[in-house]
Amino acid sequence: MPPKPPSLMSTVDTEIIDAVETRAAEIAQGASASSKLVAALALGSVPIALGALATDLWGQAPSEVVDALQLALLLEHLESDFYTRGISAAGMIPVADATIFATLNAHESTHVSVLRTIIGAKGATAAPKPVFDFTAKGSVPGFVFASTQYETFKMLSQAFEDLGVRAYKGQLPRLISDKSTLTTALTFHSVEARHAAEIRRLRGKKGWITGGSRDDLPAFLQPVYAGEENGTQGGVSLAPIATAFGGPDGASEAFDEPLTREQVTAIVGLFLA
Amino acid sequence: MGDAWRGDEAKRVSIGTIEQWNALLSRRGFMRLMGLGGALVLLPGIATSCGGGDAVTGVGTPGSGDTVAIDFAAGDVAVLQFAYVLEQLEADFYSRVVSAFTGSNFTAAEQTLLTDIRNHEVIHRDFFKALLGSNGEFTITPTYSGLNFQDRATFLAAAKTFEDLGVAAYNGAAQYLTTADNLTIAGKIVSVEARHASAIRDLLNPKSADFAPRAFDDALSPIKSAAAAQDFIVDKLAFANAPAVFVPGLGTG
Repeated sequence: MPPKPPSLMSTVDTEIIDAVETRAAEIAQGASASSKLVAALALGSVPIALGALATDLWGQAPSEVVDALQLALLLEHLESDFYTRGISAAGMIPVADATIFATLNAHESTHVSVLRTIIGAKGATAAPKPVFDFTAKGSVPGFVFASTQYETFKMLSQAFEDLGVRAYKGQLPRLISDKSTLTTALTFHSVEARHAAEIRRLRGKKGWITGGSRDDLPAFLQPVYAGEENGTQGGVSLAPIATAFGGPDGASEAFDEPLTREQVTAIVGLFLA
Repeated sequence: MGDAWRGDEAKRVSIGTIEQWNALLSRRGFMRLMGLGGALVLLPGIATSCGGGDAVTGVGTPGSGDTVAIDFAAGDVAVLQFAYVLEQLEADFYSRVVSAFTGSNFTAAEQTLLTDIRNHEVIHRDFFKALLGSNGEFTITPTYSGLNFQDRATFLAAAKTFEDLGVAAYNGAAQYLTTADNLTIAGKIVSVEARHASAIRDLLNPKSADFAPRAFDDALSPIKSAAAAQDFIVDKLAFANAPAVFVPGLGTG
């Protein structure tokens, strides 16, 4: 007898199944739902009901706060998975640098855990950790966390940390009415900036971003730095202010810039398997 | 930035001289004034007498002891004024160390790094001054209790305190901003302060975990961060209508 092929449900993340089953139970107990969904449930068709339930759960206009948190979680998953793999790769990280990356790994893991908790507390389901491809679909050719690939590892680390700072910053306005979440996000955001400065300095770069420069990172990572050269803040041109204080370089370094949800999603998408 | 945060002119009490300020304090009481619904505005006259320092470096004349009053009834502008106070302090602090490089024991690389930070802080200070317009016409007078700006270890220890305080102050004050634009401005600056904090900490203890001692940074209420900053400011920082509620983040106090 041939092995049974995997069912549709077995290919779906267990967290999604949990969420769908919970929602289905709520509806069975009388929670309101769309007529289309009720009809699908009544038909007893798993694929139709699954699709309808997924739409019911996630297809509606997302809560601004939850959506912002899910984006932060996506970033933190990317970083956490990256460092977890990095510190477990035999012989890649020199002993002298081990504390730095152990710290980064511990922090990102904590961020993931706390974000999941907050999202859950808001009645939503934390998005599952995606499967990442750190070759970025071949843009980082042959990168497998090998012992000879430490320089590449640090380059990606810089990109991820600078990206993390910009991603959180871009989501702050969506949290403006939720002070607890806003403050929590800010305290993560500034830690990401500490990380970014540390890895940049470890690589022999300045701890801050000059102009829109990606330094020596590969060209496909330029979107991480797009717009960082901004020289006007709050309607104030910094050029006359910065003349004797670093000029346009100083002005751009003095302010980090946000990235939109769409910009961040596109960049992280490069690293999705 | 729009004018939404500007107070109602009719309810403002304008103070143009130290004498008027002192008279107000003695005759009516600051909190009573605020209880009547007034807003306090410091005019350029009082501001000038607070510092009267060098416009380029922000180095003021220590010892004036004047009062810098920030009225949170003004909304976002009060938060920006508080940020301006902190940036004046930081700009002055790093301007002094850059001026003291000759004869100091900072390495060339450290001098480059500290000059960068000086540039950033001066740009922050002058940015807030420009953004605040007539609400930014005041100068604070820093004091450092005889800190030796030419000794690397001494200075960096103080710099660590300043940068960590700056990060915590922005993180905690941001919740009182009401516009997305102002919140984003605070976010753009606080991450640069955090980059500074990380770099200073790494100079003190290279390749250790000190660059980011916790997974969460602190977030301090304006009252607490002002109290910490007060140690380095001659002028009395006075808050009117300070927010009664401070919402901590998870893991912050």
